[in-house]
Amino acid sequence: MGVPYVPVIGLVGTDLLKRRDDMVVAPDPFGSGKVSVVAKAMRPDVAVFHVDKADRNGNVSCGYQVEAVILAEASAHVVVTAEEIVDRVTEKDAVGGAFIPSILVDAVVHAPSGAHPGGMTGRYAPDKEAMREYVTASRDDAAFAAYLEKYVFGVRNHEEYLERFVRQAIPA
Amino acid sequence: MSVRNGIAASRTRAPRNDSAGFAASRTGAPRNDGLDCNAEELMVVLMAREVRDGEVSACGALSQIPAAALLLAKELHAPDAELIILNTVFRPFGTSRQFHFLAQRGELGLFFVSGVQIDRQGNYNLHQLGPDLDRPNVRFPGGYGGGMIYYCARRTIVFRTEHTRRSLVEKVDFVSAAGHTPPDVLRLGGPSKVVTPKATFAFDQDAGELRLESIHPPHTLEEIRENTGFDLGVTQAPTTAPPTDEELLTLRGAIRRKMIETDTYRAWAERTLGAA
Repeated sequence: MGVPYVPVIGLVGTDLLKRRDDMVVAPDPFGSGKVSVVAKAMRPDVAVFHVDKADRNGNVSCGYQVEAVILAEASAHVVVTAEEIVDRVTEKDAVGGAFIPSILVDAVVHAPSGAHPGGMTGRYAPDKEAMREYVTASRDDAAFAAYLEKYVFGVRNHEEYLERFVRQAIPA
Repeated sequence: MSVRNGIAASRTRAPRNDSAGFAASRTGAPRNDGLDCNAEELMVVLMAREVRDGEVSACGALSQIPAAALLLAKELHAPDAELIILNTVFRPFGTSRQFHFLAQRGELGLFFVSGVQIDRQGNYNLHQLGPDLDRPNVRFPGGYGGGMIYYCARRTIVFRTEHTRRSLVEKVDFVSAAGHTPPDVLRLGGPSKVVTPKATFAFDQDAGELRLESIHPPHTLEEIRENTGFDLGVTQAPTTAPPTDEELLTLRGAIRRKMIETDTYRAWAERTLGAA
C-alpha cells in the first residue's frame, strides 16, 4: 500500500500492545470519538524468501497463494531462492495472486530443496525429524549455537548442505 | 497473519510438569459417561448450535472441533451459512490478507477460538504461561489474528478441551485478546460464550464477566465450582440439552464422511467421531 500507518480494529487492552512500539492506540481523526490501534508500516530493507519458480529476469511464481507478494512490495530489496529456474515465468503460470513481476525482484538464487527443513507446497513435505532437532536445539543458546555450527556455518554451500542433510524428498 | 486456534505447538524452556497435558490429546477423546457420545463430539454439537443460518462463520488453523461444528450446522440447521475453515478446502480465498480485511469490514458473524487460559473477564491467553511476562515458562504460537478477530466478529465462542483451574483462571498470565474494553474503543463484537467438556459459560456484556450458563450431564455444579478458577456468577444453572440422535447420527455419518473425503482433519475425524 505504501502508506506510513494503518488503523486496525482490535488488540486494544492486550499485553501484545505492551511489547510493540509499532502499534499505538489513537483517536479517530474524523471525530467519531472512538479509539483504535494504529500500526506503523513495515518497510524492510531486504526480503529473502523461497519460491517455486523464477526466470532469469526475476519474474517469480511463488507456487501457491501466499503473502510474499505484499512482502516483496513493501521491501526495498528482494532476493528470492527458487526450486527451479525456468526460461520464462508469466502471470499465467502462477496460480491466483502468486505472481511477482521482475520489477520488484533484485536477485534470484537457484536453491532446490531450499525450504528444508520446512516443506514446499506442491513439492515436498516438511522434514519432521529435522524440524524436531531444530526445535530441541532452540531451547537454549549453547545448543542452538551448536546447531548453527553444524547446519549453517559448517557447510560450504547449498550443495554440501543438500548432500549431507537432505534425505530423499518426502512428497508433499 | 497466522490464525492458530490449536494450542499444541512450539514450547521453549518448558519444565515437563508445566507443559505436559497442554498438548492436544492424540489418543482419542475421553468418554462422557453421562451421554452417548465422547467429550469432543459433545463440544462439536454444542458449538454447532451457535452457528446461525445466513451468517459468515469461521475458525482458524488447527481447529478440528469447530471445523466439525461448522460442517454439522450447515448440514442441519444453517444450509445458507458461509463457512471459512482456514487451511482446508472450505475457504473462499487463499491469503490471510483477504481474511484479515473480511474481518475488519465486519463481515464475520461468528468465530471460534481456543485459549490456553481463559479468565472471568473473557480474556484469553494464547501466548505464554508464567507470572513474569519477560521470562515465560512456556510459549505458545500466540498470534495477532485472534486478537484482531475477537473485536471484529459479532460473536466469538471460546472453547477449551480441558476444564480445570489451570485453564479457567481468575486472571490470564498474558492477555492475547481482551473480553471487555471501554466504550470508546472501536469494536464490532466480542466474546459470546465459552464451551468446555463440562459446561457452557455466557459472557455478560454489561458486567464484562462470564457466567455459568449450563452444565453438561453428568457433571454437577459442585464439580464445576471445584474445577473453575473463578466465581461462577450464579448459584444454580440448568442442565445442557444433550445431543439429539439426529445431531449425533449426522456428525458420525455425513460429517465424518465429508471430513475424510475432503481431507479436513481426516485423522481426527476417523479417530474421534463415532469412537466409543
